Amino acid sequence: MVTKISIQNLRKIYDTPERRVHALEGVNLNIEDGEFICLVGLSGCGKTTLLNMLAGFVEITAGTITMDGKTLTQDYDKGVVFQEYALFPWRTARQNVEYGLEIRNVPEEERKRISLDFLRLVRLEEFADFFPHNLSGGMRQRVAVARAMAFDPQILLMDEPFGALDAQTREELQALTVDVWQKTKKTILYVTHNLSEAVYLGNRIVVFVPNPGRIREIVKVDLPRPRDDLAPEFIKLQRHVNDLIRDF
Amino acid sequence: MQTSEAPPVPQSMDEKKKEVRSPIWVKLRPIYPFIVILAIWQVAAMQAQGNQGRLFPTVDAIVYRAWELVTGPLFRALAENPNLGLFDQIWKLGESPILLHTLNTAWRLPFSFFIAAIVGTVVGILMGRFAFWESFFVPLLSVLLPIPAIAWTPIVVIWSGIGDQTVIVITAFASFLPIAMAVWTGVKTVNPVWIRAAQSMNADKMTIFRTVVLPGSLPMILSGMRIGLARAWRAGVGAEAFAGIRWGLSAGIFDAQEYLDIAFMMVALGILGLFGFVLEKVLFQPIESRTVIRWGMMEAMGAQDKKV
Ligand SMILES: Nc1ncnc2c1ncn2[C@@H]1O[C@H](COP(=O)(O)OP(=O)(O)O)[C@@H](O)[C@H]1O
Ligand SMILES: [Mg+2]
Repeated sequence: MVTKISIQNLRKIYDTPERRVHALEGVNLNIEDGEFICLVGLSGCGKTTLLNMLAGFVEITAGTITMDGKTLTQDYDKGVVFQEYALFPWRTARQNVEYGLEIRNVPEEERKRISLDFLRLVRLEEFADFFPHNLSGGMRQRVAVARAMAFDPQILLMDEPFGALDAQTREELQALTVDVWQKTKKTILYVTHNLSEAVYLGNRIVVFVPNPGRIREIVKVDLPRPRDDLAPEFIKLQRHVNDLIRDF
Repeated sequence: MQTSEAPPVPQSMDEKKKEVRSPIWVKLRPIYPFIVILAIWQVAAMQAQGNQGRLFPTVDAIVYRAWELVTGPLFRALAENPNLGLFDQIWKLGESPILLHTLNTAWRLPFSFFIAAIVGTVVGILMGRFAFWESFFVPLLSVLLPIPAIAWTPIVVIWSGIGDQTVIVITAFASFLPIAMAVWTGVKTVNPVWIRAAQSMNADKMTIFRTVVLPGSLPMILSGMRIGLARAWRAGVGAEAFAGIRWGLSAGIFDAQEYLDIAFMMVALGILGLFGFVLEKVLFQPIESRTVIRWGMMEAMGAQDKKV
């Protein structure tokens, strides 16, 4: 296996005029190419912070992140799916998906073909010309997944992308995410505080605990896919992770 | 996979259906209050005829006066020379005072507004993008904004004399201020998650500005333009009167005061009102319904905008 991302002794301290937050301390993690990694932990234990450092949105206080053996620069291609609806309201679903391709100066015809391919992948091709505000929350997040994948990024970063959706829509999108991941073989880092979701999606689950945010344990998930969330092994694993995030 | 979510009907379709179905009387409903007021006016004016005839003209007298104001020079010329050519006829029509007043206001106001819109947008963008210009302009604009622009008229008259230029300067200045403020606010308050999304796809700063910040701040910019136009309208009409120029609807109104020509004033006021209405209908509504309303961006700032 090839190591895609290597995180060593990562620390993050937020210094604001009011207070000083020790968000992450001593984070070490190696992520293999094509892996599906879930980050779980209680609210405030630094999951978003780690993802934002990987995305280049916030600065690293100390430690290193390397990708393919080189120090991480800001301008590598990453697809990001946010918890908030982050589609551009002034672009149709297809134009949203095309955005990253436009930045890369992909010719129009090809842009159109690729964006429709990805909309098909998230089963929304018939909504290609809809503006986001005419789509339901679940559909918007599917477009967001298509947009994050269409320009062929090196990794996909997802921060509680389906957290605002109802349980049923959420389950559908989890299955869809696994499907997309299997088809595209992208490395995915996926933040959630929903443990069932983490066990359903991840190859490995990185368990964080707070104050300061740090990794408690990395749990390997060897269940065959598609996973049955009512199977005894599934529930046993979920209970194990649940114990890890709470008692420390 | 089966989607449990019902595909939502786009709102625009809904609206179209309603439009098709609405009968003519529904569309004409906004006109009826005017008819009521005109009827009351007419009755009151007829009661007052005995002693105040000219000072409180009836509706039909006002309508007749309007007709006379528009066609007076043409008919007088035709009386002198019945074989007047078509071009001369049009020329004579253009000599009617109310048309001259209207045309003068009609070019000066939009012209001043467009200057203000361009300068205001540029300044607003500079303020939104560069801390230097922000710290330079914000204190200035905050002090200038509460001063009614019309109060500058005497100074501008002394500096630039009596004439179009004075009215244009005051009108443009009045509408520049709120436009610059709105563009600045709009650029500053664009949803940061849109910018992060664009950054994650490695868009450079210029591209982000063009493809995210500008469309993202369009609701604020348009609402600033609206306020700007309303301000331009008020200041421009005031400046016309106080700058002592000859042609312009409100200049005409103040002239008419000396002859106690109430009918003329009423006609000119009617045209002024119509102007604002037409600008709203032909300028703002089409732009908005094609952009921010179509994109569903007005809900986010709707309440705020409606108050203005
Ligand atoms: N921009 C910021 N400035 C100051 N403190 C922050 C900032 N972002 C996050 N924090 C703090 O860092 C800690 C970790 O936050 P976060 O990474 O969002 O946690 P999680 O995503 O696991 O809920 C929290 O205590 C939070 O208040
Ligand atoms: Mg978070």
